[in-house]
Amino acid sequence: MSTDTLSDVESDTDLHISQLVDKPWVTIVWDDPVNLMSYVVHVFIKLFGFSKEKAHELMMQVHNEGRAVVSSGSREEMEWDVQRLHEHGLWATLQRDDKV
Amino acid sequence: MSEFTREEDNYLLDLTVDEAHILINLVEQLLELLGVDDIPHHYDESDPFAQLMHQLKPAPDEVATPEDPVLLRLLPNAYADPESAADFRRFTEPAMRSKKNATLRKAREALAVIVDTNSPGVIEELDSATWLAVINDLRIALSVRLEISESSFEKFEALPEEDAQKPLYAVYFWLGWLQSNLLDLMLA
Repeated sequence: MSTDTLSDVESDTDLHISQLVDKPWVTIVWDDPVNLMSYVVHVFIKLFGFSKEKAHELMMQVHNEGRAVVSSGSREEMEWDVQRLHEHGLWATLQRDDKV
Repeated sequence: MSEFTREEDNYLLDLTVDEAHILINLVEQLLELLGVDDIPHHYDESDPFAQLMHQLKPAPDEVATPEDPVLLRLLPNAYADPESAADFRRFTEPAMRSKKNATLRKAREALAVIVDTNSPGVIEELDSATWLAVINDLRIALSVRLEISESSFEKFEALPEEDAQKPLYAVYFWLGWLQSNLLDLMLA
């Protein structure tokens, strides 16, 4: 029993090419009036391994500017980051880098 | 008001019966909102066959965007584009709900000891990650119902004592204070 079909091969190739030309994706965290500043810093350190200074700086950017890019990379990686941020109650979205 | 204390890597919370009642009520309401996603079963979850079967479970055809604003805030859209958001939801939301469910259930079990015996007690079996997750989910749920904004604390203070919403605001701010207390201890 074969699992590879022609259409699979085609879509795999399409995906591959689109990944090569795609700009990277970014994860954005949006400001909200609920999450404590110290909690947001804690989550950034826990999920991304940032230093305390870096985590604090990004938290302040979210707070003052309404949003901050916290990570960038492939679409799959950003989906994983968004999922983990949602799990921790932060409001996060992902999008292509060129839209930021 | 009760607060956390730290003993090495353990975080203990000494609760009055009233406080445990408030917390377990909120936890149970949130559990109901999230929906029951598992049934009591007799197999061992560490069994390799059970794990394999679990992995093989296909993603559902569609997972509707939650209509309840609390659920939508706890399980937000990951994309501005509705089609991508729906796809993301289809693949991630069931697992997110299960995780939140499991964490809330752990808290419910610990709180039930105090509530069922009707005597104050110390909860010591929950780790800091569980506490942070539970407190944060409860704060978010309350914040949606109370329409919390940057100026809500002033609004709370100005509310007359007899206002029906005053106790809810008090619980919301108490939870924020508890979370802050726990984070301080974790950094100490």
